[in-house]
Amino acid sequence: MIPLLQQEIVEHYHWLTNKEFIDSIAMGQITPGPLTIMNAFIGFKIFGTWGAIGAIVSSYLPSIIVVTIVSHYYLQFRNSWIVNSSFKGIRPAVIGLLAAVAITLSRESIIDVPTGAIAVGSFAAIAFTKTDPTFVILGAGALGALLY
Amino acid sequence: MQRTEASIRNIFFVFLKMGTFAFGGVYSMLAFFEKELVNKRKWLSHEDFAESVVIGQLTPGPPIINTGIFIGYRLKKLKGAITTVIGQVLPSFILILVIAYLYISYNDIPLIRSLLKGIGAAVVGLISSVVYNMSRKFLKDYKSILIAIAIFLCLAVFKINPIILIVISGIAGVIVYRKEQS
Repeated sequence: MIPLLQQEIVEHYHWLTNKEFIDSIAMGQITPGPLTIMNAFIGFKIFGTWGAIGAIVSSYLPSIIVVTIVSHYYLQFRNSWIVNSSFKGIRPAVIGLLAAVAITLSRESIIDVPTGAIAVGSFAAIAFTKTDPTFVILGAGALGALLY
Repeated sequence: MQRTEASIRNIFFVFLKMGTFAFGGVYSMLAFFEKELVNKRKWLSHEDFAESVVIGQLTPGPPIINTGIFIGYRLKKLKGAITTVIGQVLPSFILILVIAYLYISYNDIPLIRSLLKGIGAAVVGLISSVVYNMSRKFLKDYKSILIAIAIFLCLAVFKINPIILIVISGIAGVIVYRKEQS
């Protein structure tokens, strides 16, 4: 998505400078959820609040339409043997994929002893206790603000 | 596992909560999904959850939003699907408007950088906990363990596209588990 957006918004329409575009990526990263929310910032920069609303509705509308159609048909066929057995293979694959993601993320985020301790602490809190992830995120953010 | 009924109102508030606190990118949201929807509310089984993660990955657009749409559609059809998107997106939408306004007035935000350092580390822990829970649930025979390890290596070492890996593992599942079905 990023190269495509950069091409259209910076190179083609000149709505944002390159620095503003890079900053909008950072903003997409600090807010909860997917990076796509950066489109709201781009919309705001160009056309104020309505620009932001327009940008975000048009970013998510295709997803709603496509996934709803896929879900509808998928749920009809989910009990067929072919879907069942392929999901038996896919489930362990998802574990492998997520484990690889965890490794990639840890290379970026675990840079010293305190960040390592935060990672281990949050894992233990979620995996072995009934702690709500909200507290883990808030606690880790507070620790980050205190330490760095 | 016993599943419980969800109402549109409940769906909205649960996704609003996840949309508010799932800082640190899309992967922290997965841990929220598992904890809220499977463990706490019991709207989904572990199998349903794994399924919705896969559908999210295979459809175009942001995977975590698509996972939400699939879950919403399952629970309450189109209304449910739209509700999950609004709930998930609304908090960060408001936040980004505030930040955009501050950015245009001040041009930099240093405190957020240090907040993010702590949260980034916590996300690694959160995603590991999802891996841990799923492993305990799904890795029951040597075949599934082999698939998990092989796919892990394909992504971590060889950087093969995850969508291709999901398709390959699906085909492997059909071949390996075909006999048990009939």
